[in-house]
Amino acid sequence: MSPCLSDDALTRVHADLGSIAERAHLAACAACTARSRRMRGDLDLIAAVLRDTPEPVTRSAPVRAPRRWLPAAVGLSAAAAVLLVWVEVAVWRAVTPVPPSMQPQEVAAILSDVSASLFSLSGDPGSASAAEESPQSLEAMAREVDSTLTGAEP
Amino acid sequence: MIVTAHYGRLRRLCRLLLGDAQEAEDVVQEVFLKGHEAESLGRAPLDWGAWLTRVAVNACRDRRRAGGWMRLRLRSTHVDDLPLVADTPAPSDVAIGEDTRRRIWAAFRTLPRRQQEVFALRYIEEQSTSDVALALGLSQGSVKRHLFRALRHLRGALEDAR
Repeated sequence: MSPCLSDDALTRVHADLGSIAERAHLAACAACTARSRRMRGDLDLIAAVLRDTPEPVTRSAPVRAPRRWLPAAVGLSAAAAVLLVWVEVAVWRAVTPVPPSMQPQEVAAILSDVSASLFSLSGDPGSASAAEESPQSLEAMAREVDSTLTGAEP
Repeated sequence: MIVTAHYGRLRRLCRLLLGDAQEAEDVVQEVFLKGHEAESLGRAPLDWGAWLTRVAVNACRDRRRAGGWMRLRLRSTHVDDLPLVADTPAPSDVAIGEDTRRRIWAAFRTLPRRQQEVFALRYIEEQSTSDVALALGLSQGSVKRHLFRALRHLRGALEDAR
């Protein structure tokens, strides 16, 4: 005769998974039959508990403590937002190209050009500027002024 | 007639699968509504018991999948779930013992969903393996394997309680 069935084998039989040999042993062995009856009783007890008794009350979730962290969290969030804005502005300023500043000499040259253009006698700023710089031109200008004043031909 | 015959059984099954009396009530009403619709459309099943069981198990599965009610349930205990206070303990409670009862319920709740369904249908509804397989859309072999694991787990819990 085969050895007695293990608990797992008995459980298999109760789950309709038992082999022919296991069922045959169960039918022939008084000890295994008694164990199988006890197991059946246990399973019936389990079923009765689940069917007939109320499920034990699950413990309710504990009442939440007041959220003392909330003001601190709001403050921190606001500070973080301000910091973010400040960093954004600072970085924006750092990376934005500033128009190149002009040197005083360049400014003077431009103003000189403008002045020459506005007050040129010949209408040509380049020739006016050149005339101002050349002594011959100055003499010619002087003669022209004289003739204008005296009425004589130059 | 059909409602009278199956209401209590379905309510118990849904309550077992959902763990919530109010949810179970809602599901059972939903199941009977579907039955009424099927009948009015001329698609009444031949076996109302098996059909209602299958629809109820699927509805419970949908509810569990949705999951929202579980969070609500954990926050507060519905008044229907509170046990009635009796002057004297029930004979079954005396015989079993509070600790054993708690252990059995806890062990059942820790079973995977499929094993809970198989055990409930096979041992509490006392359906045959083939009916359970039909209701759950499983093969008979799969039902037996789920049942074996469930039995082993539940018996282990009972042994621990002793």
